[in-house]
Amino acid sequence: MDASTFAAALDLALGREKAAVAFYRELTAMASFAAQRATLAEFMAMEEGHVAMISGMRSRGGVSLSPTAAVDLGLAAGLDAEEEPTAGMTFQDILVAAIKKEERSGDLYGRLEAAAADPEASAVFHRLAAEESRHRRYFEELYESEIAKDN
Amino acid sequence: MDLKDFIAPFAVWKRAFEKPFTVRKPIDERPGAPRYRGFHMNDADACVGCGTCEAICMNKAIDMVPVAGRDPEDGDSGLRPRVDYGRCCWCALCVDICPSGSLSMSNEYVWIDKDPDVFRYVPGVESKPWDGSPLGYRRADGYRLLDEDRVPMPETGPAEAVASFLELVKGYSRAQAEKEADRCVSCGLCIASCPAHMDIPGYIKAVRDGDMEEGLRLLYDTNPFPEACGRVCTHLCEDACSIGSAGDPVAIRWLKRYIADQVELSDYAKALPRAAAPTGRKVAIVGAGPGGLSAAYYLAMLGYGVTVFEKDEAAGGMLRFGIPEYRLPYPALDKDIGYIESLGVGISRGVSIGKDIPLAKLRKDYDAVYLSTGLPLAYRLEVPGDGHPRVLDGVAVLAAATRGEELGLGGRVAVIGGGNVAMDAARTALRHGARVDILYRRREEDMPADAEEIREAKAEGARLVEKAIPLEVRDAEGAPAGKAAVFVWNEAAMVQKEAGKRPVPEPIPGAVREERYDSIIAAIGQGPDLSYVAEADGVPTRRFKPVVDADGMASSGQAGGAAVFAGGDFVNDRKDAISAIADGHRAALGIDRLLGGKGA
Repeated sequence: MDASTFAAALDLALGREKAAVAFYRELTAMASFAAQRATLAEFMAMEEGHVAMISGMRSRGGVSLSPTAAVDLGLAAGLDAEEEPTAGMTFQDILVAAIKKEERSGDLYGRLEAAAADPEASAVFHRLAAEESRHRRYFEELYESEIAKDN
Repeated sequence: MDLKDFIAPFAVWKRAFEKPFTVRKPIDERPGAPRYRGFHMNDADACVGCGTCEAICMNKAIDMVPVAGRDPEDGDSGLRPRVDYGRCCWCALCVDICPSGSLSMSNEYVWIDKDPDVFRYVPGVESKPWDGSPLGYRRADGYRLLDEDRVPMPETGPAEAVASFLELVKGYSRAQAEKEADRCVSCGLCIASCPAHMDIPGYIKAVRDGDMEEGLRLLYDTNPFPEACGRVCTHLCEDACSIGSAGDPVAIRWLKRYIADQVELSDYAKALPRAAAPTGRKVAIVGAGPGGLSAAYYLAMLGYGVTVFEKDEAAGGMLRFGIPEYRLPYPALDKDIGYIESLGVGISRGVSIGKDIPLAKLRKDYDAVYLSTGLPLAYRLEVPGDGHPRVLDGVAVLAAATRGEELGLGGRVAVIGGGNVAMDAARTALRHGARVDILYRRREEDMPADAEEIREAKAEGARLVEKAIPLEVRDAEGAPAGKAAVFVWNEAAMVQKEAGKRPVPEPIPGAVREERYDSIIAAIGQGPDLSYVAEADGVPTRRFKPVVDADGMASSGQAGGAAVFAGGDFVNDRKDAISAIADGHRAALGIDRLLGGKGA
């Protein structure tokens, strides 16, 4: 693989993950009570883990991510993300924000995969999209078990 | 005497020079009769380990023993009968009584071995040549020592029921209760499955014996809400009942109610133990639902001064504001609460912790604090338009009904969700004269509501629309803005996307449906309100749940101020009244231990 292409792909992914950390930091600044901050801190730590993981892949020069996407439960597409979280955000608000964020990242990598001329760059984006689908799936399962139990 | 008589002794003498040997079978093959009562067989998978065989065996030939690979679980003790053939008299009473019908007898009766210990074994677990024998003794079809049919509960019919909020279940008479109590075999499988571990066989025996005071005492040992739980408990005990393995489970919930109904509140003090002498210590409880008041009761019994802070104008939590009175009449709930208050428990109604008083102040003024504030926040549908004025929150609708407020639901109501809140909201709307649709994303068998609630809601006239994925809510055309709404959903097919996981509702392309409603009640789930807990309170939370130890303690109070305990719906996974009651009891004992009480 062309190093610059590989590095560019991972730089982009790194930027997305750092943006995700910033996203949770922003929500934390908005939060008004302890349970919100604890949940956001946990989710932010996950994203920090992803930053470290992608940084490691970049320095090693290889992508160690599964290419298999998680099964789509179809939940993310149906969630309405028009409302922005507020100071009184509930667990539902936080999870919806997390699911939609992962969905957006997955969509972006999917588009980049389709647009990439270099097949190896395309494969990197494919694996990144699959990784985001697993993250989305993780939050969707939480949503199903903790929020929409009766739905 | 002839020649034969003369020779015969010599013929015997020749044996003296032969090597001795043992005849393995001294007689010819003689199979047992087809219904001979021979060695036992047991279908170890159908057996629930209830021990009824052990209890009935007059010769003490049966012991219930643990077996490898079978762990205890709800409705199965994990034990299996071991039969001692040095004691067994082959009477087959064990087979006749077996509630699950797992035990039978082969027609094999010959078993030769030099080791006497082998004649004691666990049928169905230790392999034997007669396993699976088609012949032998079986309980005849239709022959039952146990009554498999529950005594029917007198109830109001659906047509009459929807005309009022009168209680549907009328309760057992003495004769009915005693007959139903007679069905119990006292196996105790139910105790393990009850979150509060109530002594169910004990209080059922009290019904049989006609000793209501003893029954009430046993109820209060682990549950100070017998009137409420006798009506609306999720009765996990009945799911575990061994009689239910081949018939109707014993009506444990109704028998609990029977006991509580028989004793007047004014007579409770005579039947129940007195509180311990005052310890001089004070405990604050946040939330006067079943969990908070359960903790209050047991703390008061241990001699603590207890004050309960309740944000609403009345105590009872979801039992009062989330369950309609046709299922739990307010006088019954008031009786449970009244007894707890009679012990000196103070309930400060209309006081919101976090708004009126900070939690930090309770931690400063009291020796311990117990949080049991449940799940008061309704989650939104999370579809476009879910903020429409006619989209109502199911919990709020039920609370308004409790308060006697005008609901103004209109003639056509949709209820979205498949849990008990959805069923109660639907049935409340029916009682207000509405035509009701219940829309649920999955199938009826996936609905988390109690099966009887679903059945009753349908019998009362609610229409169940399964596999309906909410898509959108929008204003209804032709109606004044915000006065009626259109609910749009996508019909779904259930798709098994992953092995071992439950099927997923998948939208059917083009199968979009919509209907106009005067009100749309969202009842997809509820969450906690933890806005009153600050970092300084030292209560760790994970994903909006306080994290507690085995005693229910969330914070030891090292951070300055009293220790904080937590329990109930916002901590446990069951999210029902009996689990909250069990949590409250556990926390009371934990607080007592922490504060150096007698149980410490």
